[in-house]
Amino acid sequence: MIDSVLFIALPYLAIFICIFGSIYRIRKMPMTYSALSSQFLESKSLVWGSVPWHIGIITIVLAHLFALICPGLWQMLMAYKNVLLITEALGLAMGICCLVGLIVLGIRRISSQRIQAVTSRMDLLVLFLLTAQVIFGIGTAVLHRWGAAWATGTAVPYIWSLFTLQPDLSYISDLPHMVKAHIVSAWLLILLVPFSRLIHMFAVPLHYLTRPPQNVLWNNPRHYEAEAAAEEILDTDARREFIKGGVGIAAGTLLLGAGAMDKIFAFFFGPRLTAKEETELMEEKLCRLQATTDQRKLELERQSSKYILVSAMSELSPTEGKYLIDYQMTPAMAFKGEDGLPIVLSAKCTHLGCTVGNTVNKEGKILCPCHVSYFDIKTGEPNADAPAKAPLPILGWALIDKAGKLIASRSSKGEISGDTSSESIKDCDLFIVKTDEVKV
Amino acid sequence: MKAGQSVFATVSNFLSERFPVEHMNFQHMVEKKDVPVHNMSWGYYTGGLTLFFLMVQVVTGLFLLFYYQPTVSDAHLSVEFINKHVAGGALIRNMHTWSASCMIFFAMLHLLTSFAMKAFEKPRELTWIFGVLLLFLTFTFGFTGYLLPWNQIAVNATKVGLQSVEAVGEYLPGALSQLPHILRETFQGEASVGQSTLGRFYALHVVLLPLALLGLISLHLLSVQLHGMSRGVDQPTKKSERFFPFFIFKDLSLWSIVFLLLLILAWCIPFDSFLPYPLLAPYNALGSTPAGIKPEWYFYFLYYPLEMLPFWLILLATGLAVLVLIFTPWIFKGTSRKTLGLITVLASLYLVVMTVFGEQIYHMVKP
Repeated sequence: MIDSVLFIALPYLAIFICIFGSIYRIRKMPMTYSALSSQFLESKSLVWGSVPWHIGIITIVLAHLFALICPGLWQMLMAYKNVLLITEALGLAMGICCLVGLIVLGIRRISSQRIQAVTSRMDLLVLFLLTAQVIFGIGTAVLHRWGAAWATGTAVPYIWSLFTLQPDLSYISDLPHMVKAHIVSAWLLILLVPFSRLIHMFAVPLHYLTRPPQNVLWNNPRHYEAEAAAEEILDTDARREFIKGGVGIAAGTLLLGAGAMDKIFAFFFGPRLTAKEETELMEEKLCRLQATTDQRKLELERQSSKYILVSAMSELSPTEGKYLIDYQMTPAMAFKGEDGLPIVLSAKCTHLGCTVGNTVNKEGKILCPCHVSYFDIKTGEPNADAPAKAPLPILGWALIDKAGKLIASRSSKGEISGDTSSESIKDCDLFIVKTDEVKV
Repeated sequence: MKAGQSVFATVSNFLSERFPVEHMNFQHMVEKKDVPVHNMSWGYYTGGLTLFFLMVQVVTGLFLLFYYQPTVSDAHLSVEFINKHVAGGALIRNMHTWSASCMIFFAMLHLLTSFAMKAFEKPRELTWIFGVLLLFLTFTFGFTGYLLPWNQIAVNATKVGLQSVEAVGEYLPGALSQLPHILRETFQGEASVGQSTLGRFYALHVVLLPLALLGLISLHLLSVQLHGMSRGVDQPTKKSERFFPFFIFKDLSLWSIVFLLLLILAWCIPFDSFLPYPLLAPYNALGSTPAGIKPEWYFYFLYYPLEMLPFWLILLATGLAVLVLIFTPWIFKGTSRKTLGLITVLASLYLVVMTVFGEQIYHMVKP
């Protein structure tokens, strides 16, 4: 019940009041539609409060809005560890920035007499709520980490469920109290927008960017005195300021250069691996070298011998081809045909040379995954609309028994000779042959 | 050619107009150079950015050269070693891949803007041709560099690429029909893509192509500095800024921003993460080609039409496009910038649509 009030009734009320209240106030009381700046009354501590607060809060609110409006994109970005780390760190830093700003602003509002004179109860309430909201936010960031990642599965769908008028509390009902408090006080702040100076957020002076520049003329004689004093400093201390700036830039460049050089040196110095890493690397290296050696051996074998062993007949399957390397050092595969005799055909797609997959589908065809050509394993023919036009070549083979006697063979042209009864070939080994001269 | 003038004189006149020796001095090429200011001025930065990414490529490439081993047994492992163990290795490698893509992007953008601004007008014909050759060279860099990590997608995509070269043979007459086959054999070096191919591509990628690039880019930059920036618009504005120090300073500050962005991008998002692992596994000569083999994004504009349309059509169109690109200064001599702009917009539209939606279009056409 209380959840329904806080997370369904309050949000709708807050959004409604915020929209219509703000429109009413902007229309009826346009002169109050501002931040009611107190810069004229006190400007020294304002800088240290207002600037960090606004930098922090604008960054954070924009990030919240971005995650709310494009949750898919946001989630995709957060899938990268580094992006998530940066976002979290930046978020926390900005949160602390906000808090520091708020504390300075709070002290200023309470301690300065001139500010006290223009402070309303609403200002204090807003200040208090904002501080609480920032503390809840920082608390969430510290105690319930990786909010940038988990929010897209909780708070974001909850708010969207509100927007689509199908409120769904199940997204947030199990969230920690800290997060819930953050959500509730957000709604409260939105509710207060039309009644407080928060309304100034709708008065962002974006047109300043495009309007022609204006020259501000001051009537206050004190301003001229201050300006003249500033100019005097510039004239007399110009050289000193220049040197100070130069030294600063040089020092910064030096530091940056040192940092970069350190990293560059580390790159060329090379990694110092632990014994375990070293062993693993060695093993992996040997493994790859072995694979290369095997490949070279295959080549040598194909140079020198008339037959190459594929496998025992008993190991062939009618549905899953056994890959082999043919005499041209290109992939081929062997199946057991319906008649019990082997089928050996090239696996190099006749279209653009990819290696064809070895799983036979229900129609007795195999698929080249690159451009989707299906080939019949019996004839090697591609399907009519395939990008491949030529059939996969069928290779010749020989069956040799354990004693080394040639039992049956097939030439590359398809002539089968020898004893092909299933009884006599079942214990044979399958070989591919270099030339068609091999015959029974 | 005027009567009585020898061919030699014509050629030498042509060249002396394009490379005026009397202008080859610091004063003319740097101090007095002006950059026009108008609403297409941003186009003048695209060439500089391409150069910047090229410099990043050279530096990061040199870094990678210290650890990369161009053999079929070690290539993949050495790339993994760079990624996993070398301090900053993953960052350097990512910068190399990201910057390669950026370089190609900006080279294409530079070509498009120069076309729209009619920067190929006399006496800048040779500048244009050098630029076009540089773009082709950049694509070759992309193609040869793609193979070097020796993973599944690299080797298989290279196989498909080389096979496509050979397929051209069918459409050539007589003895010429053997040429693509011979070309492929030369680049491949053995019966299928293997150690010889890797060695050849490595030599091309790190020595031959860079040398060619150095030569071409020197000529390109020399002629840019000799003739100054083209005016770029029909109604030249009176406003202009000095190349040195103002424009070059702006160029440098843009470079520094772009470098920061590149650094962040390379640090946060590994280029590999756009591909599923099976494609990044070490190449397996005995296994089936995994699904999803495709070239890098900058070849999509050629690759998807190739998948959908008959080969001869693409061949014809590509051949025509290359010829048009090379002879642009003469073909579009009298064309107004308005028309050139329209052609550029259409061409860019095609490139963007094919690159971004190519896959969807392919699946729509061939479900």
